[in-house]
Amino acid sequence: MQATTMDLAEEPPSMLWGLDPIFSAFARLYVRDILQMTESTQVPGIYFYNSHPVYKVDVLGTVVYKREREDFFCYGVDDGTGVINCLCWKKYLLKEEEDPGKSGGKHSDAAKGGFDPVAELKKLREGQKNRSCLEIGELLRIRGLVKTSRQQREIMASTYYKVNDPMMALQIAWMMEVPQLYRQCYDKPLQLQLNADSDTTISSLSKATNIIKDFFKQKSVSRFRPYDVQDLLQPLISSQPQTTSADQEPVASVSACQQLRQLLKETLELLQNEGIIYRKVKSQDEVYNVTAQDKDLLIAVKDIIREDSKREKYAEKGCHVLHILSAVKQRYSLNVSKAALELVLKSLECNSDIVSTTDNHYTVF
Amino acid sequence: MLPATAVFHFPWEVNSGSVQEGESVRTFGRLVCYQPEESKATLSAQYASKEHHVVVHTLFVEPFNPIIGAQYIVLGETENAEGVGVMVRARVLNCVDGVNIALLQKAINEQRSFFRERECKQGGAAQPADAI
Repeated sequence: MQATTMDLAEEPPSMLWGLDPIFSAFARLYVRDILQMTESTQVPGIYFYNSHPVYKVDVLGTVVYKREREDFFCYGVDDGTGVINCLCWKKYLLKEEEDPGKSGGKHSDAAKGGFDPVAELKKLREGQKNRSCLEIGELLRIRGLVKTSRQQREIMASTYYKVNDPMMALQIAWMMEVPQLYRQCYDKPLQLQLNADSDTTISSLSKATNIIKDFFKQKSVSRFRPYDVQDLLQPLISSQPQTTSADQEPVASVSACQQLRQLLKETLELLQNEGIIYRKVKSQDEVYNVTAQDKDLLIAVKDIIREDSKREKYAEKGCHVLHILSAVKQRYSLNVSKAALELVLKSLECNSDIVSTTDNHYTVF
Repeated sequence: MLPATAVFHFPWEVNSGSVQEGESVRTFGRLVCYQPEESKATLSAQYASKEHHVVVHTLFVEPFNPIIGAQYIVLGETENAEGVGVMVRARVLNCVDGVNIALLQKAINEQRSFFRERECKQGGAAQPADAI
């Protein structure tokens, strides 16, 4: 099995475990897989199924072995793929059971109203006890932590109970569901690795956009040309070839200058798509306007809304975003995108220059 | 310490020789006959227009309430008994009358095809020794 032969190197770093949704869930793994998972070398008590970190599981199976100790039951649970020991504490049940016996006499006169909490509690405990004490052949549902003690894998129950399933409906549903869970979650390659692989490209892009956004904010830039910001991205490039050259040689041969230009192009594209920048005029001279700093655009949009809200057509609800957009394109610049307009509208609304009447309509009072 | 895993087998597989002697199985069938003096019960299931029987040795699960005609599920070890053929020495014998047998079969097949699929994906590396 792959699980048993997973290299130390394949183990994802513990920092990232929490990002795997399976980590914080009770994984419904087959007992066979629970028995075969490799234990983490970084943190004992964490196991890996398909490089998914797992430490708690959810199992439904038949009790095929039982041993009772003073404090706990030890059930062998067989789900048809494997048998695992389950440690089920009974401490709180037994200890508390003695208390109502002592105090029961004092409180029994409170039963006049028909509802006797003591009796009800006793019933509840009885029920609890019945559900936690199983015989061989009965069905057990257990959720708990995976442990390895004396080289044997076991489950330490956090909850467990006897399942009444006289017509196997639950077992059948479970058998149908678990393969789906495997296909959709457990057997899917770890999402973390996906992120880790594309880490260099994605994060350098997001780093680049952040650098440029910060630059806009600090210097209150309203217009710029690409070469104005190119140098800002230089630090991202110099560190990149080292990481890519290891596994991808062709990329490494691309010169740093070209990489820088490519990164800049992608970054500007991304910023344009987000509406943070736009080009007022598309010409040879590549000038970008920073939407938030473009006073003229803000005024233009405000004017449009003020004027058109007076028109009968828009009097009731105000102007629709798309109407504003087409008006801006006609009267101000053809290249203002919807994303850019939305940013402008948002900032105008924050200043109470305009008011939104619905999700998409704006007016001026 | 722990008993071996009782893997689901269809009743028509138990007698067909695909199950080795001593292997733990779990199977199902309608109780058609119970002979308490011999601790012998017979489960039956229909498959491919044939009636298949599984003989169950019930010594370990006695006393139990035999309901002739009801569906039972049995967990136990197979052994070759003289004159009977393959017999399942039951560790668990549960009455599950009312069970949707068609759905149960589907679920068993679903589980098997999942494991088959997974072993295929893992390539020749996985040993088919524990194939279900």
